[in-house]
Amino acid sequence: MKQNNIFTYTVIFSIFLLIGTIAAFSQEDIENVHDSAFKKLTRPAVAFFHDIHNDKAAIEECNVCHHMFEGKKRVEDDDSIGMECSECHYKEPVSSIPDLIRAYHLQCSGCHLKQKAGPVLCGECHRRE
Amino acid sequence: MMHEIFSFVRGPMVWIAFTVFTVGSLYRFISMWRLAKKKDSVVFNYFSFFYALRSIGHWIFPFAGVNMRKHPAMTVVAFLFHICLFVVPIFLSAHVIMFKESWNISWRWLPDPAADIMVMIVIVCCLFFWGRRIFLKEVRYLTSVSDYLILAAVAAPFISGLWAYHQWTAFSAVMIVHIISGEILLMIIPFTKLSHMLFFPFTRGYMGSEFGAVRHAKDW
Repeated sequence: MKQNNIFTYTVIFSIFLLIGTIAAFSQEDIENVHDSAFKKLTRPAVAFFHDIHNDKAAIEECNVCHHMFEGKKRVEDDDSIGMECSECHYKEPVSSIPDLIRAYHLQCSGCHLKQKAGPVLCGECHRRE
Repeated sequence: MMHEIFSFVRGPMVWIAFTVFTVGSLYRFISMWRLAKKKDSVVFNYFSFFYALRSIGHWIFPFAGVNMRKHPAMTVVAFLFHICLFVVPIFLSAHVIMFKESWNISWRWLPDPAADIMVMIVIVCCLFFWGRRIFLKEVRYLTSVSDYLILAAVAAPFISGLWAYHQWTAFSAVMIVHIISGEILLMIIPFTKLSHMLFFPFTRGYMGSEFGAVRHAKDW
């Protein structure tokens, strides 16, 4: 009887541990490129699997995408990891800084066009399910 | 492959289409001007801005003319069609955003659901025009194959645009069809009956001048 109890507790504990681990790991996986500045979405949100994308695109350096600028000059050894795009890219363009929508589009489809790889048409990213 | 096609149809092909449209329109204006000078030079003597504008004013206002009141369905369809035909392509979010991407300029755009309805209006109106050519014998009498082709050319970018927006199936292919059909439409405007877009102020102005300044009568 007692041994049976321990077994049950072990199973329940293990299940919780497993769920917690899965939850923790899935939080690590970035699956979209949402920015809190987008309040009401005009088109469907864009799915973006960070690690799969970078594997496929063979991107090693973070600041290829997470770039950092000082004025008009790109700072080569700095990055903007952890920042939201909207911290620099506003609703309207400011001098040489593209607005948020333009920044997103140039960053994604601009690179795809240059590399001749990846989605470039509106509905290839903004997919209706 | 897709990237090459897309880069071409949204890049050089757009310039080609707009150049053909602009140069073609100029060519049509100049050759029409010359033809009028040669064949009907009296037009230039009798042309009156006041009567021309008076006539245009009556004809661009729904139900302001007798003929429009006699054909209420045609009037409603024709006005809805032309309004939506111009407003949607210019104020569609996806189109404005492409200007934003390319040239860093933008303007206010329509909410997508509104544009969606307006595109459906354009398509239904095209069906109406099509049916009219088939079922009204006085219109059928004046209809040739090219009229159906022109109607199809007008409807194509709207049908493919609606299709692409809703992403029904074969999205990428339909998107390319949408872009190319839009460019074809733009290029054929100066050289087909669609040139009424360029000439309507002049044909209407001609009638207005003739009826107003010469016959002292209304032409609406």
